[in-house]
Amino acid sequence: MRALVIELRKEKRTGIIPLLPAVGILGAAYAFVNFLVRKDTLLGLPLAPMDVLLTQLYGMIMILNLFGIVVAACMVFHLEFKGSAIKKMYMLPMSVPGMYLCKFLILTVMLFVAVTLENLALMKIGQNCLPQGTFEMGTLLRFTAYSFLTSMPVLSFMVLISSRFENMWIPLGVGVAGFLSGMALAPSAAAVLMVHPFIVMFKPAVAMSAQPDMLVVIFAQIETLLFLGLGLWMAKNLRYE
Amino acid sequence: MDYIITTKQLTKKYKNFTSVNNVSIHVRRGSIYGFLGPNGAGKSTTMKMLLGLTAPTKGRFTIDGKQFPGDRLKILREIGSFIEAPSFYANLTGRENLDVIRRILGLRKNTVEDALELVGLSEFGDRLAKKYSLGMKQRLGLAGALLGRPPILILDEPTNGLDPSGIHEIRNLVKSLPDLYDCTILISSHMLSEIELMADDIGILNHGRLLFEGSLDDLRHSTRQAKMSADNLEDVFLSIVEQDNAARKQRAKL
Repeated sequence: MRALVIELRKEKRTGIIPLLPAVGILGAAYAFVNFLVRKDTLLGLPLAPMDVLLTQLYGMIMILNLFGIVVAACMVFHLEFKGSAIKKMYMLPMSVPGMYLCKFLILTVMLFVAVTLENLALMKIGQNCLPQGTFEMGTLLRFTAYSFLTSMPVLSFMVLISSRFENMWIPLGVGVAGFLSGMALAPSAAAVLMVHPFIVMFKPAVAMSAQPDMLVVIFAQIETLLFLGLGLWMAKNLRYE
Repeated sequence: MDYIITTKQLTKKYKNFTSVNNVSIHVRRGSIYGFLGPNGAGKSTTMKMLLGLTAPTKGRFTIDGKQFPGDRLKILREIGSFIEAPSFYANLTGRENLDVIRRILGLRKNTVEDALELVGLSEFGDRLAKKYSLGMKQRLGLAGALLGRPPILILDEPTNGLDPSGIHEIRNLVKSLPDLYDCTILISSHMLSEIELMADDIGILNHGRLLFEGSLDDLRHSTRQAKMSADNLEDVFLSIVEQDNAARKQRAKL
């Protein structure tokens, strides 16, 4: 708990904490505006109303979340490298893996806030704009959990990458490359491509159904834990040189 | 003799380059130990090994009877350090930077003001660290090392970047610390003239090898024995280093 408080204090004036909630608000605003403008077109699609609500708006929301995660992950370690502060952290009686875990947890909570804000907007739209009796709270909650879980591999991967490079442009470049390759390969049905964390995040956006794909969920959970474990191991064993 | 820091054949190799070569130093408790050597001699690398920032290739060391990596947290709790250049969070003020360190060390709030006052930064404590001058950053780094008045201080060229009056001030501060509170200081520099004014014992390092270890009087004595002038210790230091460099070249030719 003390490490978490210290971590939050370090992030003062960096904009890391408000970044993802701001992305969440932007995503929510996008969902409102888009549904307001394209309501008839969207509801005219040959899909169930809940599928329309959750899959047709998620593409842009997911891209906003993705870039929010990439930028926040870059910033969260850039503050350590900027004034060589990380060097001091290695010279203090503190757990460096603990610091890594705190950064991961803070970004996870902030992403959860963003996803919650976006899905609250979808709930409001669903309750007010979908045909009477077609809005299903359970489906929305399942999709919220699904979209959050499938975003976590990118977060876990980006925290790992940004922790290893002092130059912030490298993790930023990796994030952009991940986005572009993920977008190109996401429509493929080949399960093996899901080892790519960005493809996992794209999966709910390219699906036509709001029902979670369990294979994607399994890949998402394994990758999240794998990258987190790798990051913690590196923080513990690869010393500052 | 009561040694607080001892190293035994400490070695650090980077591929084909040996940065620190079988260095065995002995730092007396309550003393100021000056670690001397030209740039690239291996002073910083030795200090980094003592702080666990880099792993030794060979050899070992003990700090107050404790060893890395098993006692890492215990050792770091006893050491205030300043290595190479000041480390700080650019987005935080000087005071906030020290507060982060204070919280990690679990110290009382007033230790921050104490450290700021010791290095003369009290009135600039609320300025963002990124807006500090080089000298102020250096002082902030020193304040971070002095926070909570740790029993061991490892300072790597702490006067770098300071103006002459700043150098004088920091030198006096370092010199006064063992009297101010019970501490041992390992300080590095490439200027004997600076170390001469502070240190009780010195170790001279060149190309990773320890050429001399002992008190300043021992150095003067061995200089006289070698029929060199012991009046100017800076010249003594330079001639020791030059002799070693010449011997190295000779060995390389053979």
